[in-house]
Amino acid sequence: MNASEDVREPLKRRRNGAASRHVGFTGRMMLPGIVPLAALTVLPFLTIVVMSFSDVRLLGGMRLDFAGLKNWGRFFTDPDMGWFWLRTAGYFALTLGLEMVLGVVLALCVWRLVRGRNLVLSLLLLPMFVAPVIVGLLGRFLTDPTFGLYTWLLERIGYDGDLLGDTFTAFAAVVAMDVWEWTPLIALITLAGLSAVPPTLREAAALDGAGRWQTLRHIVLPSISNVLLVALLIRAMDAIRYFDIIWVTTNGGPANATKIVPVRLYETAFRFFDFGYAAVVGLAMLFASIVVARLFVRMLDRKGLAR
Amino acid sequence: MVDQEPSVISRRRTLGGALAGGAAFAAGGLLNGCATRSDVRRRDTADPWRQFAGCTLNFVSENTAPTSAIAADAERFTALTGIHVNIVTLELSALVQKVALDLASGQSQYQIIYADSYQVLAPYADGLVDLREPASDDSLPGDDSDLADFFPLQMDVSGRFGGGDRVLALPYDCATMIWQYRKDLFEAYHDRMANDLGFDPTPGPQRTWEEYYRIAEWFNDNVDEVSYGTGHQAKQHDSLMCDFSNVLFAHGGQYFENGEHIGRFGAVDPGPSALGSEEALAGAEFYSRLLSIADPASTTWDWTGLGAAFAAGRVAMCPNWHEFAADNERSLPGKVGYTTLPSGPAKSANMYGGAGIAINGNTAPNERAAAWLFLKWATSRKTQLRNLTGEVGGATPTRSSIYRTPEVRRAQRRPSGMPTMLTAPAVQQAWKPEYSGLRPKIPMWNECDTAIYTELSRMLAGDVAPRGAMRDARDHIDRIVSRGWVAAE
Repeated sequence: MNASEDVREPLKRRRNGAASRHVGFTGRMMLPGIVPLAALTVLPFLTIVVMSFSDVRLLGGMRLDFAGLKNWGRFFTDPDMGWFWLRTAGYFALTLGLEMVLGVVLALCVWRLVRGRNLVLSLLLLPMFVAPVIVGLLGRFLTDPTFGLYTWLLERIGYDGDLLGDTFTAFAAVVAMDVWEWTPLIALITLAGLSAVPPTLREAAALDGAGRWQTLRHIVLPSISNVLLVALLIRAMDAIRYFDIIWVTTNGGPANATKIVPVRLYETAFRFFDFGYAAVVGLAMLFASIVVARLFVRMLDRKGLAR
Repeated sequence: MVDQEPSVISRRRTLGGALAGGAAFAAGGLLNGCATRSDVRRRDTADPWRQFAGCTLNFVSENTAPTSAIAADAERFTALTGIHVNIVTLELSALVQKVALDLASGQSQYQIIYADSYQVLAPYADGLVDLREPASDDSLPGDDSDLADFFPLQMDVSGRFGGGDRVLALPYDCATMIWQYRKDLFEAYHDRMANDLGFDPTPGPQRTWEEYYRIAEWFNDNVDEVSYGTGHQAKQHDSLMCDFSNVLFAHGGQYFENGEHIGRFGAVDPGPSALGSEEALAGAEFYSRLLSIADPASTTWDWTGLGAAFAAGRVAMCPNWHEFAADNERSLPGKVGYTTLPSGPAKSANMYGGAGIAINGNTAPNERAAAWLFLKWATSRKTQLRNLTGEVGGATPTRSSIYRTPEVRRAQRRPSGMPTMLTAPAVQQAWKPEYSGLRPKIPMWNECDTAIYTELSRMLAGDVAPRGAMRDARDHIDRIVSRGWVAAE
């Protein structure tokens, strides 16, 4: 053992000692949480990574055969994949945008209510409590060309097309169904934010002669911007994996008009049983989700709300 | 105060452990050997049907008419053999998932499988038992000569794959697309229609698809009892592909070169797609024209939606699965006629969509023999005949000898106690090779099917012309086929 080793050894021992003391205390406390968490997330994640470089064979027991970059190469050269992502981005922007605008407007309306607020709020929140699959089924029945109520109403005003049979209207219909279901959540979160706006601020604005629009723009909205950002983050994470309503109503059709990446992922894995390629699509979705989440978290961070 | 360094070491260790675990999982070793199943006990008895008394089998099936009938009758099988059968009925895509995952487990949670020809039999043929083995086993009742009683076309499509003599499933379900029409309206307007159109409009394979088009148009313009002349199951998904395929085959088009052989016997590598042919284009152009005068709701109907619309009196005629006869006879008693579909320049093609029942290849020897007893019983003459007349009947027999029995022959005319048998003359004709329409039996069919109905859907929505739709579908299919089938090699 030379001199430098003499110096390093106690350091190493001290560090290890500190580590074991640290792991000994926090590690033991966290172990019951970390182990199931690893089992539920890290192991499947690593398995999916390995699957993405494999051909997955099913007969007589699952087997993975190394396929190199084949699945990844296919992902980047798939002529349809770009359209699926583009459509996903369209859904994301439309559903999130409409839900935010409508949610804030509804919250402001309810906030202004003096009487019957609880009743209105309860009615407003009802769609949120319906399972997305049921929303899809309801939507399908309401737009059915033979007996659908909405079809009948639209016929009365001169529209004789088929809502879920046309590419544009099918896209609009499934967006509308998601907006109907989740706008109340935004309204609820916004309402909570509005309740926290200090009355003194509004009174001061009123004394300064600010009108309703000015108060809203310069006092209320800046006061609830943090809450709106949180609502945006919550819905964004959900909207990026939008699946149930589309699957129940249109199956991604007509002519792929409503086929977004999560639908494509499901189809690849559980209809075509191409698990290797599905793993690649799933990992790409995960990456996209992380990017979006990081974007919003950074925005929260700038406002000092991330910690 | 938290020291950052130890947590880094801890994270590394955790990740290292997880990676090792993940690699172990990924290697497949842990996935395969989680559990072992013991075989069922074989009893020493003189009655060959009761050798496996006391055991339990699981049967996973699509929610079709034959399975409803079998489920209602299962107590008889238990009384005969002492074997209890749990029957799980699912929608087809859920069934395919269960079967794929069961095969992937290396176990056999479901010993008996409803083997759809395109989604189970073709992709997982190597995971099913060759039934000639139990059929020729002297210790089990019956013999393999009994297999000759099934219709040859059904035996090949629903029971075999890839050529050769292997029998992987017994024909169990035999849904067939035929022409269903309002007999009362055709009779009432026959002379007027004949005068206006210049031909005898009586439905049958002697009619051409062009004539079908003109009849539909005539109903649109002249008859108030129905809203439209024809309705179609043109919602994207299997239904659109099936509806289109009748027209495609009638015009001489095929999905692949040698398509009739691939449809009947199946192939792993079917070669390049033939959808770019002039015949396929003619079929697509006609189909696009036909749908333009059909009930506009056709693009949102699958077979169930179309069946309901026809039974509700919305359309005068439609191509649909023969099994809807029972619903038709309930809603429009005596008013519906059934015949084979119109002819095109090539033939009258009637899509056959039957399926068989098979035994999971992962079963242990005795379990396999017990499962064979169930297959034998479920497709026996007696059981199929009883299913026809039972309270939840409606299942169509797959044994040719049943159609020769006096009671079944009588039931083919009204008044009939077996409404599905009113379609028997039409479907029996449709099961002859010259009238059959068979989609390709290839392992990657599901993905090809998706490409086909997506392009058809684009064509019907007006986004692409028929030539473009056929070209795009062909290119898509060629890409899928060139990748080959990896899931069950």
